[in-house]
Amino acid sequence: MAHAIEVKNLTRKFGKATAVKDLSFVVPEGEFFGFLGPNGAGKTTTMRMLATLLRPTSGTALVNGHDIVASPADVRASIGFAMQGVTLDPLANAWENLVLLGVLYGAKEKNARKRAEQLLELMQLTKVAKQWVKNYSGGMKRRLDLAAVLMHQPAILFLDEPTEGLDPSGRRVIWQYLKKLGRESGTTIFLTTHYMDEADYLCERVAIIDKGEIVVDGAPADLKKKVKGSLDDAFIHFTGHSIQDETTNSKAADPYVRI
Amino acid sequence: MQFLRQIYYLFRRGFRQSVRPYFALLPEYLMPIMFFVINSAGFQRAVDIPGFTADTYLAFYAPVALFTAIYFSTGSTGIEVAADLTTGYMDRLFVSPIYRSAILIGKLLAMGVRAASQCLLMLGLVMLFGAPFAVGWAGLPILLLLALIFGMGWAGLGLCISLFTKNPRVVQSGFVFFMPFTLITTAQLPLELLTGWYKTVVLINPITYILEGFRSLMLRGFEWDVLIMAFTIAILFSFVTLSLSAVAFRRLSR
Repeated sequence: MAHAIEVKNLTRKFGKATAVKDLSFVVPEGEFFGFLGPNGAGKTTTMRMLATLLRPTSGTALVNGHDIVASPADVRASIGFAMQGVTLDPLANAWENLVLLGVLYGAKEKNARKRAEQLLELMQLTKVAKQWVKNYSGGMKRRLDLAAVLMHQPAILFLDEPTEGLDPSGRRVIWQYLKKLGRESGTTIFLTTHYMDEADYLCERVAIIDKGEIVVDGAPADLKKKVKGSLDDAFIHFTGHSIQDETTNSKAADPYVRI
Repeated sequence: MQFLRQIYYLFRRGFRQSVRPYFALLPEYLMPIMFFVINSAGFQRAVDIPGFTADTYLAFYAPVALFTAIYFSTGSTGIEVAADLTTGYMDRLFVSPIYRSAILIGKLLAMGVRAASQCLLMLGLVMLFGAPFAVGWAGLPILLLLALIFGMGWAGLGLCISLFTKNPRVVQSGFVFFMPFTLITTAQLPLELLTGWYKTVVLINPITYILEGFRSLMLRGFEWDVLIMAFTIAILFSFVTLSLSAVAFRRLSR
């Protein structure tokens, strides 16, 4: 099976702090893969490097066969990245946000409008599509943000904490959509989360990441079987602490990066 | 072709961003008119000073209203870009497979067009008050081109501050450049009536020459030596601010 993502010895430092240490992993095409770890573990930093928003300090990665440092434009053309915060134009409506992204990814405006219409219906945003995004609720913004990264039907979808800040029903809506997307379209999905239930429900394979390193990876069911408990128990077993435990390092460039 | 297409769509977005929310446009129109009405009323008798170079103070000050309109319409560029940086929208653009320079060029063109259109509206308003427009329709494209070039350059100043600092408050405090750049010029009195260090600074201030270009078109007609100087200075001014913006943008987008 071809690999959608191949990472070799990827490292990223911020000043004296190392956020991502010598990370190596692969994600086969079509897999729903997750990084599970606490805040400051290096999840977002890894994802931003793979999405070409951050240069690695050392190491390499191929995304859809393209090197993230040598061919960033090719990487960007084939991925969608839903970032940790919603990244929409607040003073534009849903149509304007989506159509602009569609044309920037190479679609003709007419086709971008058609695609936007489909996605707005899917995300149940048609009724509010002409309102400015700044007036949307958190859940609506999240759904629109997801629609935005799907406009160009990417081969790989990066989702950084996609349900952060949503209420339980909002999370369910997103989960159901993502599960269906992974199953039906063959899109490779790489998700980061610190929610155990999210990783358990969505991911075919999970890598537990802590202090910038992958501690263990496997299917959620296999990890739970190893410890004869829940994913939470698996996390504690393999890392030695709960996912809620965080310490700060005041010397780090980012004080919430743990060392 | 893709590059031009991307510039076009980002130009559209940049223009839309600069006019929303719509009620924020009010100060951009009211402030220049207010400066114009107050100054032209307050300094009416200045025309009695021997050597004054216009028939009425209103006529003399009218080009400054156009200038102020350009300042106010393009002065928010830095804040808009800072907002894109803080909301993460810039990352959204960076993660797309576009030519990153199209982001900068599209935005600057949008602000140039905003400057020209604001200038045109202000010209209509001051003419309603009785200000002359010596060159007429034939000279209008020249006036708008000068407004566009200078508008892009002035937008570049805010953009520089925004891209280097990524802080909307610091960008807002860049308004401090507005006062010396506008006031220490021939905005209030002709060069012939200025003396001492003030006159020296006015002569050094590049904005003086651009303002004189506007004044020439409105009051006196096609004075080609004045216009050539105005365009040269506007292009150089814009070149400096836009080059600095490009350097800052390149650092950011690496």
